[in-house]
Amino acid sequence: MHFVTGGAYNGKTKWVKQLYSLENDVLWLSGYRKEQPEMLDFQGNTVVLQGLEAWIQHAAEGMDSHSIRKRWKDIIADWRIWESEKEERSCIVIGSDISKGIVPIEARDRRWRDACGWVYQDVASVCSRVDIIWYGINQRIK
Amino acid sequence: MEKARLCFITGGVRSGKSRFAESKALEYALQMDGNLHYLACGRDRDAEMGERILRHRKDRESSPIAWKTSEYATDITRIGADIDQDSIILLDCLTTLLDNELFGPGNPLEKEFLHSVFSKIINAIKVIRKQSSCLIVVSNELVQEPIFQNEILHTYGKILGQLHQAIVGQADEAYLVESGIPLRKRG
Repeated sequence: MHFVTGGAYNGKTKWVKQLYSLENDVLWLSGYRKEQPEMLDFQGNTVVLQGLEAWIQHAAEGMDSHSIRKRWKDIIADWRIWESEKEERSCIVIGSDISKGIVPIEARDRRWRDACGWVYQDVASVCSRVDIIWYGINQRIK
Repeated sequence: MEKARLCFITGGVRSGKSRFAESKALEYALQMDGNLHYLACGRDRDAEMGERILRHRKDRESSPIAWKTSEYATDITRIGADIDQDSIILLDCLTTLLDNELFGPGNPLEKEFLHSVFSKIINAIKVIRKQSSCLIVVSNELVQEPIFQNEILHTYGKILGQLHQAIVGQADEAYLVESGIPLRKRG
């Protein structure tokens, strides 16, 4: 599993597409489009979960940050099982960094930010590769 | 015609990015026997801004090669009249330029207008690079926080991010300055 993070509008998705030369046979699941981050009937070998922060934002409307963290541990565990079933399979997770600003006024936004930080740590801990993208340039940190 | 060297420098406020950019410009000027040009995009609106402009001006006065200053708050291609093929230009800074281009009186913050501002700035950089020997662009690092509920901030962050991506993509060198220390990202 590969985690790609960095600030919003830094070219993360573009970088992922270039690195993996992704064109066909990729399942893009988007948090921005409110899709479920779950396996569908899909025969290809590459899955990209895009907009992790958006899924977490949505979850933070009704869940506390610990429950969100637990839920995402389960989701990621499922994807790791899917990956392990075939050598060629890979799952790439993209999430914008929202952790470097002033404390949000709304409790819901604080929950969102906290949960994001924790989930990102959990995702990074199980990934074999982690990159931070800075205006299209990657820095591999794991 | 060959394009001028492009260098991108960003960092937080008071990170020392302007000072680093000035030393970089001087380094190029000595290497390439060039002349130094300061392209100021800031408007001298209040005492605070005036004081900062003065401080940076003083820094440049102590430079072993003299700086010429051109002040264009918008439409920066106007600098074409002031420069030549040996000019090393320091654009300070991209965020101020973007502010000035975006938030003029009567500007509609609509999609087409925003896109036109993006193209205008990227195109201006291209034009200036054809008329000079080196262009250094200084900008502010974007915040990484959930600002995106506010539509204007969202749009602003998006355009600035896209400008940074486009400029870094063309740049020969790119730096992020942290507490006065330049981190080389490209070049």
